Amino acid sequence: MKVAIDWLSDHVDLSGYSEEELDDLLTFAGIEVEGIKAIPENVVVATIQSSEKHPDADKLSVCMVDDGTKTPRQIVCGAKNYQVGDNVPLALPGASLGTGFTIKKGKLRGIESNGMLCSAKELGGEEDSGLWILPPDCNPGTPLLKIFSPVFDLEITPNRPDCLSHLGIARELAVLAGRDLKSNPDHSNASIPEQSATGEDIRISATEECRFYTARRIHGIKVTESPAWLKTKLESIGLRPINNIVDITNYVLMEMGQPLHAFDADKITGGIHVRKAEDKETMIALDGLDYELTPEDLVIADDTGPVAIAGIMGGEATGVTGETTEILLESAYFSPAGIRRSGRRLGISSDSSYRFERGADPAQATGASELATNLITELAGGQAENHIVTCGALPSLNQEVELNAENCRKLLGCSVTNAEMFTILEQLGLRRLEEKGSISQWQIPSYRRDLTRPADLYEEVARVYGLDNIPSRQRSWFSEISSADRTHDFMSDIANRLSSIGFHETRTIKLTSTARNADNVCTADHEPIALKNPLNDELTHMRSGLVGALMEIAERNIHQGIENLRLFEMGTIFSNNHKGEETQHLGLLVSGPGQGSWKNPQPESADLFTLKGIIEAVTGANTTFLRSEDSTRGASFITDITLGKLCIGKIAEISPARTRELDARHPVYAAEIDLDILQKKTSAKKQYEDLPKFPSVSRDIAMEVDLSLTSGEIDFVLSRIKSPILESFRLFDLFHDESGKRLDAGKKSIAYSLTYRDRTRTLESSEVDSAHAEILSELKAKLPVDFR
Amino acid sequence: MLKELEAIHSDAISAIAEIADADGLETFRIAYLGRKGRITVVSAGMKDIPKEDKPAAGKALNQVRGAITTAISEKAEALQNEADSKASGNIDVTLPGQPTPRGSRHPISQILDQAVATLRRMGFSLASGPEIETEWHCFDALNTPPDHPARNESDTFYFQDGRLLRTHTSTVQIRSMESSPPPIRVIAPGAAFRRDEIDSTHLSNFNQLEGLYVDEGVSLADLKGTLEYLLRSIFGEKTPVRFRPHFFPFTEPSFEIDIMLEARGKKSKWIEIAGCGMVDPDVFSAVNKARGDSAYDADQVSGFAFGLGLERLAMILWGIADIRLLIENDIRFLRQFP
Repeated sequence: MKVAIDWLSDHVDLSGYSEEELDDLLTFAGIEVEGIKAIPENVVVATIQSSEKHPDADKLSVCMVDDGTKTPRQIVCGAKNYQVGDNVPLALPGASLGTGFTIKKGKLRGIESNGMLCSAKELGGEEDSGLWILPPDCNPGTPLLKIFSPVFDLEITPNRPDCLSHLGIARELAVLAGRDLKSNPDHSNASIPEQSATGEDIRISATEECRFYTARRIHGIKVTESPAWLKTKLESIGLRPINNIVDITNYVLMEMGQPLHAFDADKITGGIHVRKAEDKETMIALDGLDYELTPEDLVIADDTGPVAIAGIMGGEATGVTGETTEILLESAYFSPAGIRRSGRRLGISSDSSYRFERGADPAQATGASELATNLITELAGGQAENHIVTCGALPSLNQEVELNAENCRKLLGCSVTNAEMFTILEQLGLRRLEEKGSISQWQIPSYRRDLTRPADLYEEVARVYGLDNIPSRQRSWFSEISSADRTHDFMSDIANRLSSIGFHETRTIKLTSTARNADNVCTADHEPIALKNPLNDELTHMRSGLVGALMEIAERNIHQGIENLRLFEMGTIFSNNHKGEETQHLGLLVSGPGQGSWKNPQPESADLFTLKGIIEAVTGANTTFLRSEDSTRGASFITDITLGKLCIGKIAEISPARTRELDARHPVYAAEIDLDILQKKTSAKKQYEDLPKFPSVSRDIAMEVDLSLTSGEIDFVLSRIKSPILESFRLFDLFHDESGKRLDAGKKSIAYSLTYRDRTRTLESSEVDSAHAEILSELKAKLPVDFR
Repeated sequence: MLKELEAIHSDAISAIAEIADADGLETFRIAYLGRKGRITVVSAGMKDIPKEDKPAAGKALNQVRGAITTAISEKAEALQNEADSKASGNIDVTLPGQPTPRGSRHPISQILDQAVATLRRMGFSLASGPEIETEWHCFDALNTPPDHPARNESDTFYFQDGRLLRTHTSTVQIRSMESSPPPIRVIAPGAAFRRDEIDSTHLSNFNQLEGLYVDEGVSLADLKGTLEYLLRSIFGEKTPVRFRPHFFPFTEPSFEIDIMLEARGKKSKWIEIAGCGMVDPDVFSAVNKARGDSAYDADQVSGFAFGLGLERLAMILWGIADIRLLIENDIRFLRQFP
């Protein structure tokens, strides 16, 4: 909301405060200042004395203007919306408009121009339809800064509808500055006699949505332009003057926060009926659009149908025009919920609905009507009826809240005294009813209906007392480690390990599309969960794996010329058919050679075994890998990662076709591991094992086997051999000759190193020999192997 | 014989000085101490020496042999030293080092770890909750009015079953209080979702860090002390921090926290960094109702809560202008956070 400093000054003395200081006052009251706008310096009022077409440009005119000095000034101008005699803003050479744009003397198509005539937008306003035509009674040469006050753009939090007016902000500033509001600005004390509606004139059938409705009839008015003071006030906060009647209702809205509506009374047929709309009833509103209504919407209707969408926007047919002579001025209290629902459904947010949906002050309805009526009779002539017709009853305004001073001090953590609290609340317009020890009762003013509980009063005290005056306390406590702590540490440990061996951690958003989810080749059995209301086609589902996002990142980096990819991501994946709907996963992707150097210019490209080694570094030595029967589109083959008997994840070689689509020149391998399972499997306590005191002996086995025999099969046999002295074994060489020259092409040579040790004594060479021989025969018996 | 030994000695001393390499030294050793070497020959001649001369001759022989042996080992060491210094003398130390693979933690993870470490020092434990949440945990329990715009399908992602993607990590406040009575001191880092188009300042999925402390006598002073300490440990000890009154449905009073940011060549300005406040009594009532007890009696306990946006923190800390950089994972970007 925009408020003008001059306008605020009508209500509270702000002298001595700079704009920055006012900014601070408001900020620390909880009213965010989004910007301060002031008309630039060196912009003055100029009267256009003559205007002729530019000899060399169809769209330009050459104007002579009176800038307050004796000498007429020549300006070349492109606008068309003025007439000779109009007052307009003139930016003199040296004026700085916006960022870095400074007006200079110059020539436009050969004609000298000594400044620039401006639109409102060029001076920080919003209106951009040609020159800003200023009120006729401004004196040429007057700086615009003197006419249009600086304006604050404020963000008012939804709990403070009372601040949606100049009076409301002034009230707040008065408290913060410790100054009094100027002469009784409380328009809510209307002195006009009220007359209850007969039912013929006004009736309310939607009493829940409209508790209170008033109308005032004014005869014989003349719709004209508003006087300069009114136009200036509205223009300073960015509102376009329309005519005296509309301007007055807008003025009262901005002054008091009470939305009003003026109907052309001659166009109203019969009485006013506040009711819910009938289904499919339509009305053309003041914005020219035809709205189709439902019984959810509240309307003001006459005998022929809706004449306004209550509290939101008036109808075009019954609006005030130049011919209007008799008006019906509406001032009412509509319940916030209904206005909010209706405004949202119809997609209308007006200054009026904005205030009603946050909660207008019900007590000011008649006062605002009175203020507007007085202004109308003053500025548009005419005669107001000597009473206001009211219908319904104001909601109960008698709100009392208890203040427990002791609790307030405890919550604030400081020693604010009772007297200090009382002063703050009284300045805010609350009235102390009774007091007993540290407990006091307070009457809440009608404009602060947000204050309903003791906590609300503590907030008011804290806000005005200021957090600067509350000490900072530092305490610490013992805390138990939680399972979330353990998970965090477990995941951090893995992430740190991976990043220290060359992996980059990625983070992506958890929303994805079915197309991208198709790249989740390691979690192909996870069914993705669909959003009910996706924002676009790109983000329609929750991710069911991490590999999809890693592939996208790989592609992006490949297109930046980066081929050496070592990526991982950790985080939640979502699935419909999984044990847990949300699971923590680790995704890995490798492709391309490691970083080469002058000593090793062409390192090998990453392959399955690069990734296996990485995974073993994360999951431990007991991990086994088995080629899976699963086949998944997008992967050449899948390898299951197993720990104990549990499958904890999968590795995929991305299919050559998909690899080409990524423009990758090297094979791409991806893996995904369920961290929830891994964490459970690895949190077992570790135990120290004595270091061996006796030396080990090693013996090698070299075998010639069919290509189809896997090392896993050999491992399986070796790992089940029950020799008490076989400590470990390790594959150390593998040879295969495609050409068949050095070895039959259908065969491979595979070599293991076996380590023997007895932990209680030194082994004799002969016992190792016999143990080794037994192992060889065991292998021979179980597998089709030949020893070399 | 003694003369002969003297000649051998002097020959050896002058010959060894000439030797330039290990091969020469070996030839020398063989020539003097080898099977047919001059010393060996003299030694073999000992048997012909008259008995009375033997002690003197033997002594002389041993002396010369010892001298030559010492000279050889000295020469060998000298030659080795010479070779050693030659070997390292030509190394071009300016050649690039062998690259060790260097990865990185994502900047969001780094800032998260730093914040978690700081808050743990103050005695907070971690807590977590589901990202797919019920409307009750996300809005009702947090005192959000039934017709609040945040509940709209235009602002929040919903699922067919009526659940939603949590719009803030404040849901974990409720989850934590539901499962444990006070005192409670938890922090919950995690994902939050809003139905925003992705642009340079918005993500539809971002990360927050939530904090909650409920106990007897928790006050605004505690809130202030805790958050000042946290923010100063991230942004520097002298960072000015201010608390500005604000409004959130689930805290009362509520504040936004600004830090004073000094950017190179620019006027320093206040930047909004977090929201916080004292837990609203209505939140306690909702939790009590769900628990079926009155463990969170607003007359007995009070608490503070806060929430930080981690993307925003990272952007401010490292001067990252476009939030999308944080989800694009361009390696040229990630590499800058080793």
